[in-house]
Amino acid sequence: MITFITRRVLYSIPVILVASFVLFWAVRATFDPLAKLRLAQDPTALAREVERLGLDRSVPEQYFLWLRSMVVGDWGLSTRTGTPVLPLIGEALWPTLQLAFWGLLIAILIAGGISVYSAVRQYSLGDNLLTGASYLGIAMPAFWFGLILIQTFAVWPKEAFGLSEPPLYFIGLNSPGQTGVLDYIRHLILPVAALMIALIASWSRFGRAAMLDALSSDYVRTARAKGVPRRQVIWRHAVRNSLAPFVTVVALDAAILIGGLVVTEQIFAIPGMGRLFLQSLVAGDVFVLLPWMIVVAVAVVICNLIADIAYAVLDPRVRLS
Amino acid sequence: MSKSLLRTAVPSSRLSRRGILAALTAAALIGSLAACTPSPTPAETNEEVAVVDGGELVIGAEQEPDCADWIATCGGSIWGTYVMQIPTMPSVFQTRLVDDEWVPVPSDLVTGEPTAEVAEDGTQTVTYEINPDAVWSDGEPITSADFAYTALQIRDGDDIFDKTGYDRITAVDVSDPQKAVVTLDSAFAGWRTLFSVYGIMPAHILEGQDRNAMMADGYDFSGGPWKIEKWTRGTSVTLVPNENYWGEKPHLDKVTFLFLPDTTAAFQALKSGQVSVLAPTPQLDALSQIEAGLPGVKSQVDARSGNLEAIWLNNAVAPFDSVAVRQALAYSIDRDAIVKRLFGSLGIDKAQQSFNSPMVAPFASDDFSQYTLDLDKVDELMEGDGWKKNGDGVWAKGGETATFSIKTLAGNKRRDLTVQVLQSQLADAGFEMTIDQVTPADLFGTIAPEGDFQAGIWALVDTFPDPTLSATFSSVNIPSDANGFSGINFYRANIPGLDDLLTQVDSEIDTDARIAASHEGDALIAENVPSLPLDAVPNVLLWSEKVGGPLQINPIEGPFWNLAEWGLAG
Repeated sequence: MITFITRRVLYSIPVILVASFVLFWAVRATFDPLAKLRLAQDPTALAREVERLGLDRSVPEQYFLWLRSMVVGDWGLSTRTGTPVLPLIGEALWPTLQLAFWGLLIAILIAGGISVYSAVRQYSLGDNLLTGASYLGIAMPAFWFGLILIQTFAVWPKEAFGLSEPPLYFIGLNSPGQTGVLDYIRHLILPVAALMIALIASWSRFGRAAMLDALSSDYVRTARAKGVPRRQVIWRHAVRNSLAPFVTVVALDAAILIGGLVVTEQIFAIPGMGRLFLQSLVAGDVFVLLPWMIVVAVAVVICNLIADIAYAVLDPRVRLS
Repeated sequence: MSKSLLRTAVPSSRLSRRGILAALTAAALIGSLAACTPSPTPAETNEEVAVVDGGELVIGAEQEPDCADWIATCGGSIWGTYVMQIPTMPSVFQTRLVDDEWVPVPSDLVTGEPTAEVAEDGTQTVTYEINPDAVWSDGEPITSADFAYTALQIRDGDDIFDKTGYDRITAVDVSDPQKAVVTLDSAFAGWRTLFSVYGIMPAHILEGQDRNAMMADGYDFSGGPWKIEKWTRGTSVTLVPNENYWGEKPHLDKVTFLFLPDTTAAFQALKSGQVSVLAPTPQLDALSQIEAGLPGVKSQVDARSGNLEAIWLNNAVAPFDSVAVRQALAYSIDRDAIVKRLFGSLGIDKAQQSFNSPMVAPFASDDFSQYTLDLDKVDELMEGDGWKKNGDGVWAKGGETATFSIKTLAGNKRRDLTVQVLQSQLADAGFEMTIDQVTPADLFGTIAPEGDFQAGIWALVDTFPDPTLSATFSSVNIPSDANGFSGINFYRANIPGLDDLLTQVDSEIDTDARIAASHEGDALIAENVPSLPLDAVPNVLLWSEKVGGPLQINPIEGPFWNLAEWGLAG
């Protein structure tokens, strides 16, 4: 297993390097890193920055200069805030990781449960209801669902019952000056719910299909024919074998979540990666956008690595190949 | 010719506090002018609610400032000014309501109105007598050294947002700590903007340090009623009272501004009680929320604003390189109908008739009022200029049609609606308009300075109650290779005789003469229609009944200008 993981990690390095060069080239081709400085209309400062950033050199040269700085932790300064980029991204990553962690964890448990239930009771009333609900969840825009949650669990109870404060909060991950767990939970519930609804909907459909495949496979039929108890057939044989493709989908979605929580973070005023991306994009802050993309690319590689490892654990044949 | 701090070209999605570039300014006692010319409708006066001492408030802030180094290019956010700069930075002039006009009045930083004198050799001297009670939050007195430090940081610094006025400073006499004597190399009529728009910075803390690095993420000094306790990027800014403030101290123990960029979520936060005050820009979604009703919420709407939106026409490219075409365009548009549709729910239904904003109403004439929807006049002007309508009903001349593209900022719903209405109205008049959505960075970074557009829609923001149109329309402010792309006359307006009039407005000391020159300039601008003013964007303030005190919109300093007087309703 160690050899397998080492090999996969080593494979990831060139992937990240190629991805970073492509991103660097694409960003350089579409954004002017000195756009904001041009507004100040100071030719001396402009010339100084061109030289400092090596913008008069070829793209490969610029790339290696930039890569060297990234590796030693000098991620440059944001043109929007004038502050170092590394802590900006670090501060944005933390709330996103919290949201993604809780959202993924709960979504995996619920979607997994629904998958097994729906597959085992295929075409039952419960299965049909869950199928309908999942279609609704997939179709419902996150923005709209988030607002419904806010209205239902924060605004309406406060107005209807004349409460001094809403039962659930929806601004940030803590009230100003508060660090308590209860306050944190009251802030976390609504954004996590908004985030996981689409995940549960799509994963449960995928999991149901994988589970149905497993249940109709030869080894399950054999196990049943041998008299293995139904519960044992489902959990020990069918579920385990349907997990591998499920894990792949979860890993891919997890990676996308790192950069894709724009809507959720915007509605719930959470200062995460999605909001940082929006702010930087609007400001044309190339010095944040590029490292941001690299971080997301690395997240994709890491999540895929985790998926591969999980796959290997679940299916020993993967190690041999 | 130099620049001033007064007028800014910005997207409304991210209003900038100071000018990208600006024009010469002239000092004037605007308060004395109120009786001379019509003024805009005054805002509703709010009933003052008694407050108790102590307690905390949470306020929604639409935008987060990029940095807190107010003189640097990163410090240009209007919300940074509202929530941090004004509560903490001492300034010489403040904008206050006098005889129902918002005018610059000396603050309690100085003992009285500073004196400004122009010598025979043309140099100007401004003398500031500093209040001996004025101290920084660490107890150190505010002295002339602070004036000198601030002036030189701006005059000599790199990456400064706007040096207008400061670039004329030749010396600051600091021999008397209680008196700062500033000498300028030429008369600067806008001298009141000095040490007012930017405020004063503490030399004893910042001298010899990297100012930008020390202030970018906030600072712990203050010369105002509040101190910044904490700025959590992306989340909030918290203010607490400055115990060493020499004026009236705040009633509240703490005020937290939560950054809520999404309008709908911000209104839900107000309704649910998570925030107690909002000052939303009147985008369509905000208007619909207000129309829908907000139980337990009070409001104020004020049409007196320095935020002026217009259709900007590139005078250097076809088809707007013809005065007749520009005039015909002006007769093709029912501007009142557009304004009514945009702001009718707030009771505002009249188009702006001058490029001088409502905030400097005494200097504005109404010459653009001649341009109302008149399709006969359009036909007369276009045919007189050699155009004929083709089979599609579009004006054509020499193989070209009167087709143009308008640049608008992506995501601005109010402007999306505006350009859609414009498109329809112009089609009726024989103009074919396409819509091109761009980002603020592209528009103000390259497209506008390089003149790579035919028409655009964006806003100018006045940041001090003093008139200026030089930055906007003086020919010297046309960006070009020759001037290093300086100036915000992006529309390449070059109207014979206008430069002299605008210079006169910027430098004339006599108030009546200044007004006359301004009106004359307005008439010339309207005659040539270099662009077309649309509307002044009204200010809106919403607050829950739990908030007390004298809440009132200040068109310059924003909704929180008197935050020290606010409190929990008693």
